[in-house]
Amino acid sequence: MIKGYAGRILEVDLKNKTFEFKPLDEDTARLYIGGKGYGARLLYDLTSAGIDPLGPDNVLIFATGPLNGSVAPQSNRFAVVCKSPLTGGIGSATCGGSYAYGMKKAGIDVLICRNAAERPLRLEIDGDNSDVKFVDASDLWGKGSYETQKILGEKKNHAVIGPAGENKVLFAGIVSNERIAGRTGVGAVMGSKNLKAVTVSGSRKLEMEDKAAFAAYTKEVRALFRDHPVLGNSMAAYGTAAIVNTTNARNIIPTHNFKYGHFDRAKSISGEYMADHTLVGTKSSCIHCPVTCGRQVDLPGIGTVKGPEYETLGLMGSNLEISDIEKIQEWNYLADDMGMDTISLGAVLSFTMELQERGMLDSGLQFGNPAGVSEMIKDIGHRSGLGDDLADGVKRMSAKHGGEAFAMHVKGLELSAYDPRGSWGQGVEYATTNRGGCHVSGATMYMESVGPFTINPQNYKLKSDLPYVQQNIAAAINSMVLCIFTTYGIVPKFVHEADPKSWKFRAAVAAFENSGPLFRWVNSIKGKPMLWFEKWLTLITGTNISSGHIQEIGARIFNLERMYNLREGLSAADDTLPPRMLNESIFPNMKAGHPLGELLPRYYQIRGWDSRGVPTEKTLKKLQVAV
Amino acid sequence: MRVTVEPTYDMSKVLGVDSFEVEDVATVAEAVEKARERVGDEFEKLSRVAAIAVNGVLVSHTKGMKTRLSDGDRISFVKAAAGG
Ligand code: SF4
Repeated sequence: MIKGYAGRILEVDLKNKTFEFKPLDEDTARLYIGGKGYGARLLYDLTSAGIDPLGPDNVLIFATGPLNGSVAPQSNRFAVVCKSPLTGGIGSATCGGSYAYGMKKAGIDVLICRNAAERPLRLEIDGDNSDVKFVDASDLWGKGSYETQKILGEKKNHAVIGPAGENKVLFAGIVSNERIAGRTGVGAVMGSKNLKAVTVSGSRKLEMEDKAAFAAYTKEVRALFRDHPVLGNSMAAYGTAAIVNTTNARNIIPTHNFKYGHFDRAKSISGEYMADHTLVGTKSSCIHCPVTCGRQVDLPGIGTVKGPEYETLGLMGSNLEISDIEKIQEWNYLADDMGMDTISLGAVLSFTMELQERGMLDSGLQFGNPAGVSEMIKDIGHRSGLGDDLADGVKRMSAKHGGEAFAMHVKGLELSAYDPRGSWGQGVEYATTNRGGCHVSGATMYMESVGPFTINPQNYKLKSDLPYVQQNIAAAINSMVLCIFTTYGIVPKFVHEADPKSWKFRAAVAAFENSGPLFRWVNSIKGKPMLWFEKWLTLITGTNISSGHIQEIGARIFNLERMYNLREGLSAADDTLPPRMLNESIFPNMKAGHPLGELLPRYYQIRGWDSRGVPTEKTLKKLQVAV
Repeated sequence: MRVTVEPTYDMSKVLGVDSFEVEDVATVAEAVEKARERVGDEFEKLSRVAAIAVNGVLVSHTKGMKTRLSDGDRISFVKAAAGG
């Protein structure tokens, strides 16, 4: 077995309560690494076209990668893959916490859950004895994600769902510690299988090709991270909330259901404001991560809990025109405990507020007014009253109540907290990403509107090349499985410290902006490993991995996911943005909308797809994507 | 002509306001000068690595400090960050 892998897949049948350990396929591991990539391969092969995502034929796949189980910073995340009940296409989400580490300790690379249990069930996996217990979970059914983990034992490693997953809220997630695999409704699929929790234990050690070199190099990387302005400083101090003021100033923070990109009171929901007023000084981290980006707050009557991330502040703060940070903190906790994605939740709430504003649906929810929001979150989680409609997400809400023109989703997945009208490459990424309106499948906005070195986000330069390269990197990173925030470290310290107003800086940005095909070519070179994740993979698996390999593997995963979506009935017509993003101006006097139609043909061409967005045979052959 | 200046979080702490309005400025340079006067001694330190945006667009992508302003524009001091 290739080093870095446990070498085992565990397949459980929840209906018949049987299990089987199978060998991991080395060829698949070489082609798709693990995590999201290996999961996509299994999903494609194990399911037939057109299955009901919430029926027993869907498979729920928990997949780790070769970096999991090591002490490399940011390296303990797992991926969940299944058919998405929200989009009908590929469902995938990754999650930190400690569960990925636990799976590798148990000697399991991938867990496949098939069928559906007849009654609430939980799994106890004992990796050392290769045993699985199917335990009745009726006593846990209805309990929140925090209480469930507490009852199961806080020192053990779990992946659990809350009431939202049990009630098949279409944007329910799967929780490990305080982290959540939030997107595409993976928690609803777990709930549809009556699976409340998975607990893993074991004492296996991760085998590596060159352990000594890995340890020495990881020490160097830790020092590099400590000294990095983002990974060692702003993320540690403010967490992801560090970007609120930046996205607000750049006009891309969602406001009033994405009508605007700027919120006058954004400073009151920023990371800096939280540090000054509500953070209690303690932090939470995924296991072995020195970045410790989770920051905690006190909630009256609850105690010390995880504070809201940027996405939550954007979608449930500015997007609802709420600047009461205490309220957002409370909603964040409620959503986490219910086990639901705060991005989709915030978007469905803002959509409902706009319906109210236009007199199309009387929910009582209004922009700028926190009244009724807490109750609605609970109603969504329990699918009671109008909450039952909101639990189906924005796309289905708009089909039922109208408002397609301002329904903020792509392929059914609600948009993250970056307005693509102020970040055109991010718009291309949203439109083409296989799981829908997601920002961690490329994070193009970092090079356009968020980071220290940003190209002009509103011209045609690099707007197809950049998402292509970024999506490939992200697909590979989500398959190792590493935290996507590691990519922020790629921009070196000296760039952060340079004056963006200087002519040298501006000349460098202009040169990058004009690099187009050269940029893609440089990234495609197969040479020696340069970046830390390339070196880690090389040292652990013994196979040389460079940026060219990362691009190739990422493109392979991306195309396989694309083929899955096409098989399930999605098409180029789904590579679009919400009408509001295409037709409305983000700021008075500015050009109306995102020019997606002018950018997509070049993107398809770069991807090796035909004009209908279908990967050509040549592309699939070159990338070794078997379909 | 009246435009809004949106300082960084740290500048806002010094000023005690989230944003302020300035009048009779034709270019970004003139608006920045007004901000300098208002923030005082700490301006250089607080604006050192901040970029400047007009209505969200960095002036480095337009005409730099010579970028002309229109009534109702918003001039923001932007600090790069990371998260998501
Ligand atoms: S950076 Fe944050 S989210 Fe990423 S692994 Fe570290 S603690 Fe977890």
